[in-house]
Amino acid sequence: MDVLELEHVSFAYPGGQQALEDISLQIRQGEFLVVCGQSGCGKTTLLKMLKPELTPHGQRQGVIRFAGQPLEALPPRVSAGEIGFVGQNPNTQTLTHKVWHELAFGLESLGCPSDVMRRQVAETASFFGMQTWFRREVKELSGGQKQLLQLASVLVMRPRVLILDEPTAQLGPIAASEFLASVYKLNRELGLTVILTEHRLEEVFPMADRVLMLDHGRKLLLEAPAEAGRRLRSTAPDHPMLAALPSAVRIYQELDTADVCPLTVKEGKEFLSRHFLPYGEPEAPAQSITDERPVILEAKEAWFRYQRDLPDVLRGVSLQVRQGEIFAILGGNGSGKTTLLHLLAGPREPYRGKVLVEGQKTRSFAKGSLYRRRLALLPQDPQTVFLKKTVREDLREITRLMGTPESELEAMAEKLGIHGLLDRHPYDLSGGEQQKAALAKVLLLQPRILLLDEPTKGIDPGAKEQLARILLELQQEGLTTVLVTHDVEFAALSASRCALFFDGEVVSQDAPAAFFAQNHFYTTAASRMARHLYPQAVTCHQVSQLCRSHPKKREEATA
Amino acid sequence: MTCSSWKRFLVPAAVAAVVLAGALLFPQQYYAWISMAAAVIACLPLLVRFERRSPAAGELTVLAVLVAISSAGRFAFAWIPAFKPVTAVTVLSAMYLGPESGFIVGALSALVSNFYFGQGPWTPFQMFAWGFLGFLAGLLSRPLQKSKAWLCLYGIWAGLLYSLIMDVWTTLWADGTFVLGRYLAACASALPFTVMYAASNVVFLLILGGPVGEKLQRIKEKYGLFQNQA
Amino acid sequence: MDTFASYHPAALLGYFMAVLLPAMFSANPALHLLVLLGGLAFWALLVPGRTFAGDLAFYTLLSLMIAVTNPLFSHNGVTPLFFLNGNPVTLEAVWYGVDMAVMLVAVLYWCKCFHRVMSDDKLLFLLAGTASSLSLLISSAIRFVPELKERIARVHQAQKAMGLYSSGSYVDRLLGGLRVFSAVLSWSLECAVETGQAMKGRGYGLKGRSHYALFRLRPRDGWFAAVTLCMAAAVVTVMARGALTHDFYPKMTGLSAAPEALLGYAAYGVLAALPFLLEAAGRCRWHLLLRRCARQDTGGEPGKDGVRWTY
Repeated sequence: MDVLELEHVSFAYPGGQQALEDISLQIRQGEFLVVCGQSGCGKTTLLKMLKPELTPHGQRQGVIRFAGQPLEALPPRVSAGEIGFVGQNPNTQTLTHKVWHELAFGLESLGCPSDVMRRQVAETASFFGMQTWFRREVKELSGGQKQLLQLASVLVMRPRVLILDEPTAQLGPIAASEFLASVYKLNRELGLTVILTEHRLEEVFPMADRVLMLDHGRKLLLEAPAEAGRRLRSTAPDHPMLAALPSAVRIYQELDTADVCPLTVKEGKEFLSRHFLPYGEPEAPAQSITDERPVILEAKEAWFRYQRDLPDVLRGVSLQVRQGEIFAILGGNGSGKTTLLHLLAGPREPYRGKVLVEGQKTRSFAKGSLYRRRLALLPQDPQTVFLKKTVREDLREITRLMGTPESELEAMAEKLGIHGLLDRHPYDLSGGEQQKAALAKVLLLQPRILLLDEPTKGIDPGAKEQLARILLELQQEGLTTVLVTHDVEFAALSASRCALFFDGEVVSQDAPAAFFAQNHFYTTAASRMARHLYPQAVTCHQVSQLCRSHPKKREEATA
Repeated sequence: MTCSSWKRFLVPAAVAAVVLAGALLFPQQYYAWISMAAAVIACLPLLVRFERRSPAAGELTVLAVLVAISSAGRFAFAWIPAFKPVTAVTVLSAMYLGPESGFIVGALSALVSNFYFGQGPWTPFQMFAWGFLGFLAGLLSRPLQKSKAWLCLYGIWAGLLYSLIMDVWTTLWADGTFVLGRYLAACASALPFTVMYAASNVVFLLILGGPVGEKLQRIKEKYGLFQNQA
Repeated sequence: MDTFASYHPAALLGYFMAVLLPAMFSANPALHLLVLLGGLAFWALLVPGRTFAGDLAFYTLLSLMIAVTNPLFSHNGVTPLFFLNGNPVTLEAVWYGVDMAVMLVAVLYWCKCFHRVMSDDKLLFLLAGTASSLSLLISSAIRFVPELKERIARVHQAQKAMGLYSSGSYVDRLLGGLRVFSAVLSWSLECAVETGQAMKGRGYGLKGRSHYALFRLRPRDGWFAAVTLCMAAAVVTVMARGALTHDFYPKMTGLSAAPEALLGYAAYGVLAALPFLLEAAGRCRWHLLLRRCARQDTGGEPGKDGVRWTY
C-alpha cells in the first residue's frame, strides 16, 4: 500500500525560482527511501512539501496524497501526529529546556490523556535508552544525543512516516553512524516508512530500498541502490553526485565489469577479489623522507587544561609543521583537536611547554600582529565569522583593516568562486558557500599559515572537493595549512601529512598513503576495501587505477 | 463560562483575593507587600491577554529568543556595571512587534534573567518596570521608528524611569512605608547607575536599532507574524 | 538529599505562601524573628558551611545598614533618644528599623530557599496548568539562554582570531561586544522562526493541549499539606482574634504572652521550621539506613568505612 503519493508535483518559490519540476513518486508502507542530490537540488523543498506544517510559501502544482487523502484535506491532528519530521540542526529543532518535556511536547499538543502520555513517553525513552538523561536539561546533551532526542520526540507520537532532512549534517562520524543505525532499526523492526536525505551516502545507500536522485528539481533517477549506482554513470557521466556515492559504488563505476554493483565495504572487497589481482610483489613501505623545508609552526611539549582543577586536555603535544605543507590532524569528537588548534592560533596558551609561530612565542606578538600577514584561524562554524549584512561588507571590514585596495577583495572573491554571492546575506548561503566566503574573509588577512577547524562539517561532497582543490591551489602559492578534522576521506584527498590525535597527544604522523595504510579502522573506505590487494591505495581513484592495471583474466573471474 | 476560561481567571482572582483579605483582616498593612501584589496584578491583564489569544508558534519562539538574548546580554556585558541590553531589546521589540510583545519581552526578560541573577521580591517590580517601558514604546512606535533623536530620548527616559521605579522598591522594602527622605536619598545614591542605564540604553538602541529593526520587520512581513496587535 | 524539595510543587507553593503571608500582614516582631530563624535553619542545610557563613555576614551587614538608617529618615515615635540636626532619633524608630531589617532578610532567605527548592520545571509545571503559552515561552527562553551565551563567546573568539576588536582598549572591547551582540541577535531571530516551524510541526496550536504530569500527588504530599494547613489556620485564627497585634508607633506595645498568643507563636514556629525539620529528619533516616546496611555488610560492626561512600 502506498503511504505517500506524488503526482506531477512542481513547486516555485514566490520569487519565481523553480524548485521542483514534475515529480511523480509512490512511497510504499515500510519503504526506506533515500533522496539525494547536490545542495540546492530541491531535496529539502521536496521533504518539506510532504509535511503540511512546514510547506514553504509558493506556487504548487500537482497532488500529494497521504494514505489516499490529499494533503490539503488532512486534518491538522493527523498531519501533526502521523507525519514525523526531523530537521538538520538539533539546536533549532529543540523546543523546551528539559528532555522529558521535549519528549512529551508532541503528545501534549495532541491533547493526549495523562496515562496514555506517560506510557508512550516511557516506552519511547526506554527504546532509545534515554532513562539516564530523561530529567536532564537539553543543554547538557551532546550533539548526537540532541538529535536522537529529536527523533524520539517525533516517534513518541507514533507517526506512520518518518521524514529526515540531513539529520547527521551537524554530527561527528560516530554519532552519525549511531543515529542512522537507530533509524535503520526503526525501519526494520517496526516497518516504519522512512524518507531521508543525506550528504554522506556511504552508510545510508546500503540501507535504502530505493534511491531518488534529484537534479535541479527534476527526478534524475529512482531505483534500487545497486541499480542506481550502475545507472547514474550511464545517464549522466560527469554528474557531480558521482563523487557523493559510497566508495564501493564509485570504484565499481570506474571499472568496466559486468558484475552487480557492490554497496558496502564488505561487498566491495569481495567484488575486487573476484575481478582483480594483487600487486605482483608487495611494495616496500614508503620511506619517510627527511623534509628540508623550514619549520613554520611548532608545539613543544605543550600542556593545557581549561581550569586548574579540570583534567588535562593536551598532554605534552609536540608537532612540527613545515612551510608549504597541508597538515591534517585527525581525531574523534571531543578529543581536544579544537583546543590544540586554539593553542596553535594563539587565543589560548599552554601552561607548560610552548608554541612557536615562525620561531616566536605566540604571546610575544604585539596585540593583533599575530593575525596580520602571519596566521589566521577559520573556526568550525563559518557563520561566526560574519557580522555584517552582506558578504561584501564583511570582506571590506578586513580590507580596511589591512589597508588593501578594494580590488584585492574582488580578486579574492574571483579566486574562491564567490563573486556572485558578494551582495547576499551571509546566512542565506548554503553551507559550502558560507565556508568559502568565510575562507575569503580569513585569507584577506594574507596569512602565511592557515588553520582550519573541521572545514567539511555540514557541506556536501561537491563543496568538499572544491575546498580540497582550493587548498591545494593555495599550497602552490606557498600557504601552509593546518586542519583538524574527523573526515578521513577529506584528509586523504588534500593533506600532505596526517597525524592522529588521541588522549591529548599526537600519536602518529606520516604521509597520507603510509598513514592510512597502517591504520586499520581509522582509514578511508576505499583503503579498507582494497587493502588486501593494494595496501598503499587510499582514495577511490587510486584503487580503481591499480585495479585497471591488474585485471584477472576473464576465465579466472568467472571460475 | 467554559472550564478553561474560568481557569484563566483563577490566578489573578486568587492574588486579588489574598491582597484584599489581607488588607481587611489585618489593619497593619505593609506597603511593601501591597505594592508587590499591585505590581503582580498590574502585569496580569496583559499576560492573560497574551495567553488567551494563543499566539502562533513563530511568535512564541521569536519572543522567547528576544527574552533569552536580553538575559544572555546581561552576562555578556557583566563586565560593565549596570550596562544591560534588556531595555533596548524590549523597546525594539515593542517598536516593531507591537506594545503587547514589548510588554511580554520586558516582563519575561526580568523573570527569566532572574533565574540566573536571583529571584526576589524585586522580580515583580522589575517585570512591571520593563514591561511598562515596553508597552509604552509600542504605543510610541511611529515617532520612535522615524527619528533617532526620539529614540535616544526614549532611551534616556527609560533609564531614568526604570531607576525611579526600582528606588520605590528600595524605599518600601527598607522602611515598610514610603518615606520621601529615604526615596530622595536612594535616588541620589543610585545616580551613577541611573546615568549608566540611560547611557547603555542609548548606546544599545543606536547600535542595534538598524540591523535588529530590519530583521524584526522582515520576520513580521515574511512570515505574517504579530499582525493582530493593538 | 532533598527531602523537602521532593514534595509536589503545588504543595510546596502552598507552603511558601502559608509561611510568608502571616508575616507579611503582621507587624509582630516575634513572628518576623520566627520566620527568619526558620529560613536560616533550612538554608543552612541546603548550602555548604562556607557559603552559609559568607551569606550571613553579607545579610548581617545589610540589615545593620537598614536598622541604622531607618531612624534617620523616620521621626515617628514618642521616645527621643537624641537629636540629630534638630530631628529626634526615637527608640520606636530604632526598633522599627531592626524589625524591618529582620523582615527583609527573612524574605531574602526564603527567596533563596524558594529558588533552590522550586526548580524551573516545577514552576513551569504549575504555570502550564493555567497558562500554557507563557510557560512554553519561558521554557524555550530558558533553553535559548545558554545557547546564546555560548554563541556570543564563539563569535567573539572568531573575531579575535581575525585580529578584530582586540586592541585591548575599553572602547574597542565595548564596540566589539556590541557588534557581536547585534550579529548574534539577528542570527538567533532567524533560528527562532525555524524553531517556530518545528513547534508547529509537532502540533503546537491544536485545540485542547494537555500536560505531561512529571509530578504526581502522593500520600506524603497530603500529609505535608494537611500539617501546613492546620498550622496556618491556627496562626491566622489567632491573628484574626487580635492576640498577636503589635504596634511600633506612636509608642511600642509590649508583646502579649497570653496562652492564645503563645499558641499562635508555637503554631507559626512549627510552620516556619517545617522545611528544616523535614529535611533534617530525612537525613537522619538516610543515615540510619546506611548504618544498618553497613552493619549487615560488615557483620554487625557499625560505622566503618562503608558508611561514607554513598554520600
